[in-house]
Amino acid sequence: MTSWLCFGLALVLAPLLPGVAQRTKSWLTGRRGPPVLQLYWDLARLWRKGAVFSSVAGASFRLGPVVFAASGVAAAMLLPFANNPALIRFPGDFVAFAGVLALGRFALVLAALDTGSSFEGMGASREAAFGSLSEPVLVLCFAALALASQELSLSGMLGPALPSWWAAGPALAMVGAGVFLVTLAETGRVPVDDPATHLELTMIHEVMVLDHSGPDFALIHYAAALKLTLLGTLLAGVLVPAGQAAAVVRIAGWLGGLLALAVAIGVVESVMARLRLARVPQLLTSAAVLPGFAIILLLSRAA
Amino acid sequence: MTTLLAGLSVVLLGGLAAVILARWPRWAASVHRIATGAGALVALVSPLKVLGGAHLPTLTLPTNVPGGAWTFGLDALSAWFLIPVLLAGTAAAIFGTSYLAGQEEEGSVPRAHLGMAVLLVALGLVLTAQATLAFLASWEVMALAGYFLVVFEDRRPEVRRAGMVYLIATHAGTLLLVVVFGLWGNRAFDLSFASLAHAAPALGSLHAVLLTLGLLGFGLKAGFVPLHFWLPEAHAAAPSHVSAIMSGVVIKTGIYGVLRLLVLLGAPPPWWSFGVLLLGVCSGVLGVLWALAQHDLKRLLAYHSVENIGIILLGLGAGALGLSYRSPLLAVLGFLGAVLHVLNHALFKSLLFLQAGSVLRATGSRELEHLGGLGRRMPLTWLGFVVGSAAIVGLPPLNGFVSEWVVFQALFSAGSSRTPASLALFGAAALGLVGGLALACFAKVCGSVFLGHPRTPAALAAREVGPGFWGPAAVLAAACLVVGVMPWLAIGPAVRVAGQLAGVPWARAAALTRPARDAAQQIALLAALLAGTVAVLAMARTWALRRAGAVATSETWACGYPRTSARMQYSASSFAAPLVALFGPLAGVVVHRRADGFATHPVNLALERILVPLWEATQRASARIRPIQHGRLQLYLLYIVATVALLLFYLAASGGKP
Repeated sequence: MTSWLCFGLALVLAPLLPGVAQRTKSWLTGRRGPPVLQLYWDLARLWRKGAVFSSVAGASFRLGPVVFAASGVAAAMLLPFANNPALIRFPGDFVAFAGVLALGRFALVLAALDTGSSFEGMGASREAAFGSLSEPVLVLCFAALALASQELSLSGMLGPALPSWWAAGPALAMVGAGVFLVTLAETGRVPVDDPATHLELTMIHEVMVLDHSGPDFALIHYAAALKLTLLGTLLAGVLVPAGQAAAVVRIAGWLGGLLALAVAIGVVESVMARLRLARVPQLLTSAAVLPGFAIILLLSRAA
Repeated sequence: MTTLLAGLSVVLLGGLAAVILARWPRWAASVHRIATGAGALVALVSPLKVLGGAHLPTLTLPTNVPGGAWTFGLDALSAWFLIPVLLAGTAAAIFGTSYLAGQEEEGSVPRAHLGMAVLLVALGLVLTAQATLAFLASWEVMALAGYFLVVFEDRRPEVRRAGMVYLIATHAGTLLLVVVFGLWGNRAFDLSFASLAHAAPALGSLHAVLLTLGLLGFGLKAGFVPLHFWLPEAHAAAPSHVSAIMSGVVIKTGIYGVLRLLVLLGAPPPWWSFGVLLLGVCSGVLGVLWALAQHDLKRLLAYHSVENIGIILLGLGAGALGLSYRSPLLAVLGFLGAVLHVLNHALFKSLLFLQAGSVLRATGSRELEHLGGLGRRMPLTWLGFVVGSAAIVGLPPLNGFVSEWVVFQALFSAGSSRTPASLALFGAAALGLVGGLALACFAKVCGSVFLGHPRTPAALAAREVGPGFWGPAAVLAAACLVVGVMPWLAIGPAVRVAGQLAGVPWARAAALTRPARDAAQQIALLAALLAGTVAVLAMARTWALRRAGAVATSETWACGYPRTSARMQYSASSFAAPLVALFGPLAGVVVHRRADGFATHPVNLALERILVPLWEATQRASARIRPIQHGRLQLYLLYIVATVALLLFYLAASGGKP
C-alpha cells in the first residue's frame, strides 16, 4: 500500500524538482526567479495547446514522446521509493530499470532523427554518445550496491540489507557520487548540458526536442522531470540511511533527499559553467572510476 | 533422430529439385520453399522432444573408416542449437527464394538454393555428430557450402576476395581442430566422442592445451576479436539471406564447438575461463565500436555479430568460471545466459539481415549515406527493422533484453561468490558499455536509413517489398517479441542445456534458476504495463490534440533558415563522430575533415593492419627459397634421394629407435 502511495507521490511531485533547482539557482545569483510550481503551469498550458508537425516527420516522431513518458512510468514501477519494496521486483530488475530508461532514450533519439533536421541530429548524436557512457557507470553503481547488500533486486539493494554508513561508508559515498554524476548527465544538467541555454549548437537535450510542440512537448517535459525524480530516488536510497524506521519517517527522508538533490543541482548550476563537449566523456569516465573503487573496496573487505 | 534426418532429407531433396527444375525458376523456387519449410517443421519435432526431457535413441553407422563408428545423436546441447538452425535458417532460406528471384544475371540461382539446402543439412549433422570424423566431415561440408553461397556474385572482385579470406580462415580453423582431435585421439580408444570423454580425466597437462587450441579453432568460426577478420568481409559480400544464416546461425557452431569441448573435457583451469571472459569483453566493446564506424549497412550488422559473440562469451566465461571454482549457481546462470543469447541473437540478427536485404532490393544501395526516409515508403520493413534494433540493443520487452538480463545476473553472482571469480563483476560494466554503444549505433542506422528525408533519388523511389520478403521476417520478429514477453518459454528448455553444461542434474539446475524463472512472470507483467501505459498515453495525447483542434503541418524548424534540403541532415558519419573520436585509433577510422565535408572511412584493423602485412612479409621471406624450385625432374629426384639418405642416417645415429 505504501509502495503505491510513494509511486503516486513520485508521479505527482516530479515536476516540482526542476522548479526547486531553478529557484535555488535564482536565489544564489540574486534574482527572484519563476515560481516553484512553474513547470506544472507550463505542462497544463502545453497540454491544452495545438501542435505543429513537420511534413517530414512520421509515426516515430509522434510516438517518441509517448514511449519516453511510458518508459519513465515503467521505470518508476521498478524502483523502491523510501525503502518500500518496488511494485515490480525480481532478481536483476536493475537491468530492467536501466533497459527501460534506455528504451525511452532510444524512442526520443529516433523521434529527433525523424525530423531530418541537422540540429536535432546533433542533439540526438550527443544524447546517444553520452548516454552510452553513463550506462556503465550506472551498472557499476548497481554492482557495488549488489556486493554491499548481497541482493540482486533494487528493492533488496536499497532495502534493509544495505549496510550502514558505519560499515561501508566510503564505498557508499563513492557510489553516491557516481549516481549523482549520472543524474546530472542523464537529465541534461550543468556541467554536461545547460537547460537554460539558448544557443542550439551547444545544447543536447533541448535541441533534440526542438520540433516538438503541444501535448508531445508536455510529455517530454514531464518525463524528463520524472527521470530526475527517479535517479534522485536512487541517490536518496543510497545516501539517506532510513533502514527500518517507520514509514512516515522513511518517506520524509526520501522527500528530503529529493529536495536536497534539487538544491544541490541548483548550487552546481550557479557555481560552475557547462563543460566543453569534448570534456564530458572525461567527467563520465571519472564517474565510472568512483563506483569501480567502491567495488574493489567491497571485494577486498569480503576476501 | 530419424524424424530429424527425415526432415533434413526433405530439405536436401528440395534443394536438388531446385537444380533439376532450373529451367522453370518459379517452380524451382516454390518447390525449394515448400520443401525447406515442411522439412524444417518435421525436423523441429526431435529437438523439441529432447528439450522437453525425452531421450532419443542414437543412430550408429558402422564404417570401415578408422576412428570408430559414426554416431549421430541428440542431447540437450545439440537440440538447443538446432532450434535457431531450423527457425532462423529456414526463414532465411525461404526469404532467399524471393530475394534471388530474377537474379540470374548475378550468379546461378538454382545452385544457390542447393547450397542453402546443403548448408542446412550440414548444420544439422555438425550439431548431432558424436564422432570426430563425422563431425569434421560435416564441418567441412558446412564451411564449403558457406563459401559457395558467399561467392554467389563472383563477378565482383571484392566478393572473390572476401570469399578467399573466408576460405583461408575457415580452413585454418579446421586445421587447428584436426590437431586438437588428433592429440586427444592418441590417448583414447577411438575417435568417438564417448571415448574421447572417457580419456579426458587422464589427459594431464594436455587438457589445457586442447582447451586453448580448441578455443582458437572454434573461435575462427565464431568470429570473436581478434579472429573476426574474415567475418565482416564475408557477411557483407554474401547475398542478404546468406548473410542472415551465416551471421545468425553458422557462427554459433563455433560457440557450440567450445561448449561441446567443455562438456567432453570437463572443468577448465581458471585462467582459461578468465581468458574467455576477457575475449568476451574485447569482442563486445570493439565489435560495437567498429560497427559504429561503418557506413555499409551489412558490414555494420556483421560487426554487431562480433559484438554479440562477445556477449555470449561473457556468459560462457562466467559459466566456465563457475566450473573452475566449483560454483554450480554461477555455472548454471552463466551458461544459461550464453545459450539464451545464442537463440536470441540468431532471431534478431537474421531478422535485421533480411530487412537489410529488403532495403537493398528496394533501393539498390546499402550505403547509409545514400538512404533515408524509407520508414514511410517501406513501413513493414521499417517495423521489422525497429523490432530487431530494439532487440539487439537489449531493450525490454524484446528477447535481447532477456538474455542480457541473465548474463548480468551471472556476472553479479560471480561478484558475490567470494572466490577470485568476483573479478568477473567488472565484465558487467563492459556489458553496460556495449549496450549503450549498441543503442547509439542502431539509432544511427534507423535514423539514416529509415527516418528523415531520402538522400538519393533511389531512396525517394523505394517501394515496399512483397510478402515473400516480409513474411519470413515477420515470423522472426514475432519470435523476438514472444521470447521477450514470455521469457519462460525460452528459459525453461534452456535450463536443461545449462544444467548439462554445468554438470548438474536437471532438478538441481531448475532449483538453482528458480528465481530467474519466477522473475520471467514479472518481466511479462512489466511488458504488459509498458504496453498499457504507451496505449493510454497515446490515446490521451490524441484526445488532447483533437480537443485543441489546432494541428498544423509545416516544414522542419531549422532556426529560421527557410530552405532545408536532404543534404543538410545529420549524416551517419557525423552521428557516430563523438564516440569514434572518443576512442581514437582503437576505432580504426580514417577521418577526412574538410571545409566542405566530413567523412570517415572504416578500416578492418585486424585484416588490413596485421594479417595482410604479415602475409606479405611471409611471401617476401619465402621468395628467398624459391631458387631451389627449378621444375627439373632430375633435381627433384636428387632432393628425394638426399632426404631419404638423411632420414636413414638419422635412424642409424639414433640407434634404430625413431
